[in-house]
Amino acid sequence: MSTIADLMTHDHRACDHDFAHAETLAAQGDWAGAAEALDAFSRALNAHFNAEEQQLFPAFEAATGMTQGPTQVMRGEHVDMRAGLERLRAALEAHDADDFAGEAETLLIMMQQHNMKEENILYPMCDARLGHARDELCTQLSHSLAAEHTS
Amino acid sequence: MSSANPGLAYEDTPPLSAPLRFFLTAPLFGLCAGLVLLLGDGVLSSRWTPGALAAVHLFAAGFMLQVMIGALQQILPVVAGVRFPAALGVAGSSHALLTLGAMGLAGGLAFGRPDAIIGGAVLLLGGIGIFLVAALAGLIRSPSVKIASHAPRDLRLAMAGLAVTAVLGVALALAIGRGVVLPLPLPQAVDLHATWGWLGWGGILLAATSWVVVPMFQITPGYPARFTRWWGPGVLAGLVSWSLARALGADGASSVLGVTLVLGFAAFALLTLRLQSRTRRSTPDAPFRAFRMAMLAILAGLAALSCNLADDAEHWSVLAGVLILHGGFGGAISAMLYKIVPFLAWLHLTQAGIRAPNMKKLLPDTPVRRQLALHLAVLAALVLGVFADSIARIAGLLMITEFGWLLLNMLRVLHNLKRARHT
Repeated sequence: MSTIADLMTHDHRACDHDFAHAETLAAQGDWAGAAEALDAFSRALNAHFNAEEQQLFPAFEAATGMTQGPTQVMRGEHVDMRAGLERLRAALEAHDADDFAGEAETLLIMMQQHNMKEENILYPMCDARLGHARDELCTQLSHSLAAEHTS
Repeated sequence: MSSANPGLAYEDTPPLSAPLRFFLTAPLFGLCAGLVLLLGDGVLSSRWTPGALAAVHLFAAGFMLQVMIGALQQILPVVAGVRFPAALGVAGSSHALLTLGAMGLAGGLAFGRPDAIIGGAVLLLGGIGIFLVAALAGLIRSPSVKIASHAPRDLRLAMAGLAVTAVLGVALALAIGRGVVLPLPLPQAVDLHATWGWLGWGGILLAATSWVVVPMFQITPGYPARFTRWWGPGVLAGLVSWSLARALGADGASSVLGVTLVLGFAAFALLTLRLQSRTRRSTPDAPFRAFRMAMLAILAGLAALSCNLADDAEHWSVLAGVLILHGGFGGAISAMLYKIVPFLAWLHLTQAGIRAPNMKKLLPDTPVRRQLALHLAVLAALVLGVFADSIARIAGLLMITEFGWLLLNMLRVLHNLKRARHT
């Protein structure tokens, strides 16, 4: 059975690939393709956030009693990244290549500093603290994340 | 700030001014190294000229160390859950000591002032010591969890390499300035200090950072787990063994270990280039290309170092130093600064509830691309300058421009940050 850290880290990378696909098409000026790819990235990212907010974080909070702890911080960063995604979408709708590149760069760094914290600190804490509930949660998370990635 | 949030909250990262002071001071040392090349006589004719010693320390203990310490104070909370106690105090005191120390040491080496050499070395040791003790205190309080990434462990190994480099440096300063007798000949002690510096500290730090930065920010496949598991400890063990062999005068063993270390570092650079060639990002920007050029410069530097193992002509070691320090570390550090500083400015504005301009509005591509192109021109001039003093002076002039421009680009970010704050 894989760990929560393995499963969620793998999904981070899959989201990165969706992001890169959208970025590539926008850089090529293929706005229709980029819009489709951005939708796919958006679905994958939101599926990941939702799985965390509705399944992983509540389980961690229940196991540790920490409701104002790391999960609260991560929820706040999800809000920032959803806003970043909307700015990216606005640049795409305006067919503004420079703005899209700048917003994409900003969102990528925002995502990766968030991912670093989750992969190095929060997910290992989840694996350590969730005990025997971990395997069942992994299965549920796998189902929630499945089939969201296109590339 | 709850102890339940080890390193996770934005608040756990130090205020903008903490790392920024290092990032803005660093280019001034690169600029001074250029001045030494411009004004000194035959600076690159040998690694032992006062000018070469001063320039190397301005670059390594000035430019490189400032950025590396500043960046570690930013990245350790995120990667290893380290919360620095009194982050601003640690940043302020270590920055002041490192700045004065590097100035004193380089000035002492350039002008042959033993007191300045010793004073500078001791101040540097003090600055490094404050940073390392604070990092250690933070590490002890960080959560003990099992993770797949070897980056946090290798960051710790690099810090051990820094401590060894600093202690060896002070011992050398005392030997040169006070005539303290070392247990091994001076040139060998200098070799140990230099190798622990560029490989034990700089090399392991660059690799540990790359384990994270290359796959995540450049969207490449990850480094193979078996490689990252063994590389850092292997290099450190190799360095310890090589140092012992050198100290005990076991020439055969030290040569074999030296070649092994060179091959080990080359493997890291080659693997990084291979992974980068498989990036999913279709439009590699100037910092990405600069990072790749840095890896190529490291490979060329290692080739020069290998030649130096077989042939002790002066130019090989100078060439290796130029390629590894300026081409390798200088290029990689500049590339990372161009990502770190705009993001920190963006984060600072966002945390203050201000609608932040995106990264490329805070720092447009064009000046970055041009400054990094100049970096390559400087490297080419430095390589030629090893063989012709007149070109070394031109390299110095270009280097002054390179680092002045780097500083201006950093200041441009701050200017845009201030403008965003007031609109």
